[in-house]
Amino acid sequence: MSDFGFHLAFWSLAAMTIGGASMIMVSRNLIHAVVWLVLSMLGVAGLYLTLSADFIAVVQVLIYVGAISVLMLFAIMLTPRAERDNSSSLKTAGPAGVVVIMVMIATFWVAIDTDWGSVREVALTDQARLIGESLIKHYILPFEIGAVLLTAALVGAIALAREDDEDAAVHAASLQAELDGLEFDPVDVVDPPIPAEPESEARS
Amino acid sequence: MIIGLEHYLILGAILFCIGFFIALSKKNAIGVLIGVELMLNAVNLTLVAFSRFSTTEIALSTQVFVVFIIAVAAAEVAVGLALALVVYRNRQTISVDRTTLLKG
Repeated sequence: MSDFGFHLAFWSLAAMTIGGASMIMVSRNLIHAVVWLVLSMLGVAGLYLTLSADFIAVVQVLIYVGAISVLMLFAIMLTPRAERDNSSSLKTAGPAGVVVIMVMIATFWVAIDTDWGSVREVALTDQARLIGESLIKHYILPFEIGAVLLTAALVGAIALAREDDEDAAVHAASLQAELDGLEFDPVDVVDPPIPAEPESEARS
Repeated sequence: MIIGLEHYLILGAILFCIGFFIALSKKNAIGVLIGVELMLNAVNLTLVAFSRFSTTEIALSTQVFVVFIIAVAAAEVAVGLALALVVYRNRQTISVDRTTLLKG
C-alpha cells in the first residue's frame, strides 16, 4: 500500500481539496467560489477512492458535484440584485478566526494524541450490494425516515421558493417601473383601484 | 512513511476548520451555505477514514451512516437556498449583515 502511486494520489488530492477550500475563502466572486467548491468536492471524492470507498465516491460526485453545485449556481442567478461579492465581513472575521484556531488546535491534538487502535483489514468489496442490503435490512427505519425527510424538505423548499400570483405581479410591476424610470408603489398593484361595480342584490 | 488514519484525520480537521471559518465570516448567505457544505464533507471524510481503518462490520455501518449524512445535507441545502430566495424577495439582499429584521 505504501507505494509511490498511492502517495502521489493522496498528496495531490489533499492539495486539491485544501487548495479549493482556501480559494473559496479568498475569491471575491461568489460564482468563482462555487466553482472552487466543485474542485474541492472532487478532491474529497478522490480521497474516498484512496480509502477504497467506491460507492461513497460515486454518490459524492453525483450529489455534491452534480446536484448541489448546480442548485447553488441557480440560487446565485435567481438573486440578481444581491451582492455578487463573496467578501468576509470585517466585524466577524476576527472573532471567527480566533474560534477557528482554537477548534483547529483541539482537533489536531485529539487526532494526533489519541491511540486510535486502527486495524487495516482488507477493504470491503462489492460495497454497493452490501450497503443496499443493510439499508433495507438493518437500517430500514432510518431509510424510511430519510425518505420522508427528503420529501418534506423538497415540498417545503418548493412552497417557500414559489412566488404566489400577488408577489409575481408586484415583482413584474417593480421591474417595469424601474425600466420606465417611474416611482413604484406596490400598493397600486396589490389593491388596484376597484372599478365601480353594480351593487349586488340584497339578500331578502 | 505509510499514509495512515492520522493523515486523513488531520486533512479532515483542516477542511472542517476552513469550512467553519467560511461559515462564520462570509457576508453572503450562499457563502455561508458553502461553508456548511465544506464542514459536512470534512465530517464525511473523517467517517470514511475511520471505516477504512476498522473491522469489516463497523466499516459497513459507517458507510451507511455517510450515505444518510449526504441525504440530509442535500435536504438542508435545498431548504437553505429556498430560504435565501425568500429573504431576497422580501429584502432585495441576502447579506447576513443586513438581514436584521429580528434585531431589537
